[in-house]
Amino acid sequence: MGRFYSRTEIVARVEGLTVAHLETYVAANCVVPCNRDGAPAFTEADLARLQLLTELASDFELDEDAAAMVLGLVDQIHGLRRELRALGEALAEEPEETRARIRSRLGATG
Amino acid sequence: MSEDPYADLGVARTASQDEIKKAYKTIAKESHPDLNPGDAGAEARFKAAASAYDLLKDPEKRARFDAGEIDASGQEQPERRFYREYAEGPEATYHTSRGYEDFGNYSDIFADLFGQRARQSGSRQGGFDPRGFRQGAGGQEAHFEMRGPDERYALEVSFLEAAKGATKRITLPTGATLDVKIPEGLADGQTIRLRGKGGAGFGGGPAGDALVLVHVEPHATFRREGEDIHVELPIGLDEAVLGARIEIPTIDGRVALRIPKGATTGQVMRLRGRGIKKGATHGDQLVTLKIVAPPEVDPGLEEFFRRWRETHAYDPRKGVF
Repeated sequence: MGRFYSRTEIVARVEGLTVAHLETYVAANCVVPCNRDGAPAFTEADLARLQLLTELASDFELDEDAAAMVLGLVDQIHGLRRELRALGEALAEEPEETRARIRSRLGATG
Repeated sequence: MSEDPYADLGVARTASQDEIKKAYKTIAKESHPDLNPGDAGAEARFKAAASAYDLLKDPEKRARFDAGEIDASGQEQPERRFYREYAEGPEATYHTSRGYEDFGNYSDIFADLFGQRARQSGSRQGGFDPRGFRQGAGGQEAHFEMRGPDERYALEVSFLEAAKGATKRITLPTGATLDVKIPEGLADGQTIRLRGKGGAGFGGGPAGDALVLVHVEPHATFRREGEDIHVELPIGLDEAVLGARIEIPTIDGRVALRIPKGATTGQVMRLRGRGIKKGATHGDQLVTLKIVAPPEVDPGLEEFFRRWRETHAYDPRKGVF
């Protein structure tokens, strides 16, 4: 994990992000900073999320609410991908016979 | 990236600035790595387009590129990590699953399979646990109780505090303080959960937890890999030739180390059990030797080596070519 970033540092690092946008995203729970001695502290992952939000706003010309909504969907995709990955890992440990049965079943509904 | 920014954007060399901008936006939209989390090629396409656009959006730079004065390589974007690289990692806390209640007969299977996982992970969503809602007796008077929200704290600890364990104090929004015990051997990026130290519950529900995300600051001398500690140790020319018994730093303080006669740069000495303690086992400390020349080469040393070389020349670069 990298270090923590203050509000000023994060605005300086994310191209196109303003303090006002940051406040909006924090208020919408798009990024949830940690509390460090009473001031917000952001992680590398928060930085990457804010970069994405800023690009959604600029490249797709979305307003902050719409960008936040898209990020919410992205979070759901990652939730699904995690579960799918866990399911895949569990299946990989099953005997070949079980996997073959599931494979043929999935192929049939394809 | 390729040599040709025009090709990266898929436009002709005669394209207008508007066409270039439009081409960039199209690729950025289609290939944003965070909107295509499973597509390995998306990142390469996105980065190539961003890099090409960075060069071509500036008419002056574009003219210089066209005239062959600069090449495309100088325009590399700084190293960038996309959100998807964090999203499924161990530190990820934003992902969410809204459940499978619409799956009819199969919804129970999924709830069974993933319900346990969801409860274990520290997802940032889910402060509102529906299981916390309780019907009042008789069902007449609806009373609900709800668990309080988790609260997140950031804490920086020094390398040695994390290696040896420590107690740190954080200040809560209320002004109160909370002592956080850093367990011995804590790794960077770990979260310490303090049960019941988060936000107050509602309607008699339990308090949430305080989640303390810990960043371990790097150390000037020690570097950690797993449970092992790595140290690069400078030794003198004389110590390397003659061997020596010297004191070296470990996370537990100074210990003696014997440098063998004829030691060389890059040689690794292992000190068993001097690494991070984890449960009943200890990691090791690995010391990589580095020969450091004396700050000044005096005439005597120079004279000695001149003579020595006449009869003992050797090729340290054998095998390099």
